Amino acid sequence: MDTYKILEIKESVFENNDRQADLLRIDLKKDKTFLLNLMSSPGSGKTTTVLRTIEALKDEMNIGVLEADIDSDVDANTVSKTGVKVIQLHTGGMCHLDADMTKQGLSGLGTKGLDLAILENVGNLVCPAEFDTGASKNAMILSVPEGDDKPLKYPLMFSIVDVLLINKMDSIGFFDFDLEAVKERVKKLNPTIKIIPITAKTGEGIDEWADWLRTEVKNWNAN
Amino acid sequence: MHELGVVIEVVKTVERFAKANNVSKIDKLVLQIGELSSMIPKYIESCYPAAVDGTIMEETKLEIEILPGNAICKECNSIFNFIQSKGKCSKCGSNDIELISGKEFMIKEILAC
Repeated sequence: MDTYKILEIKESVFENNDRQADLLRIDLKKDKTFLLNLMSSPGSGKTTTVLRTIEALKDEMNIGVLEADIDSDVDANTVSKTGVKVIQLHTGGMCHLDADMTKQGLSGLGTKGLDLAILENVGNLVCPAEFDTGASKNAMILSVPEGDDKPLKYPLMFSIVDVLLINKMDSIGFFDFDLEAVKERVKKLNPTIKIIPITAKTGEGIDEWADWLRTEVKNWNAN
Repeated sequence: MHELGVVIEVVKTVERFAKANNVSKIDKLVLQIGELSSMIPKYIESCYPAAVDGTIMEETKLEIEILPGNAICKECNSIFNFIQSKGKCSKCGSNDIELISGKEFMIKEILAC
């Protein structure tokens, strides 16, 4: 009969991914590539926001985009029309990207000479919050039609991001969306977060967003 | 249902550990999940068979220990269960509290030969 023994592992499930993410950040810092992890629910306007961001910054920096989806390449197609480098990642049913998949995507895209890489994560407010992708900064979009109660429902996502874009501000008159209540709820979870209201479709607020990004990219790639 | 990806991560970690420690057969895996973590034990159990399929853990049993979500009151220093007392100090009713446990998601140990 087999004799069994107990082997203690005592390891957090996210430890391996966290380690990989830290290594990726070290590489990115060396390559002088700023990686932005952009997260949101499906349909919040991630791709439109990415297009606006490219438009605002492409004359001053080299941009690459990683599109992560469970399937299809519609987003990569849309973004490639702007002329920036883009790669489509398929998670094959998985609801998030981890550091290892991000690393593979970045090497497929090629980070040489790239100042800013934007990772458009899978549309989901739950799992991407739990997996560090190795990004320099994390951003999320909450769009007005989704409702002002989302910080209460998905507290982890709102507490781990550095910046929150509140999109589709032009539709605020049609929804019961209390902007001040959202700000208060989010600040309670994350006191240092930067909140920028935008309308990606019209370009409203994109200047402030581009400014934030410009400063962060500059700081990251400085030395 | 975001548990599958996470359970696959668990399996990878245990496989790596098993390899490093020359373990060829694992009888049981013990996980610790905090009651305030976003992982639901019932769903972990239901996607576990899919995650271990075709790995060295195919025959490995799964055991889950639940860790309590406790908080400490910053006003009166008493320790209480966050869920039972609905996020407020059970003694003085203060909202000024700090979580001390309950968000864990740990691989505690394996029973192996």
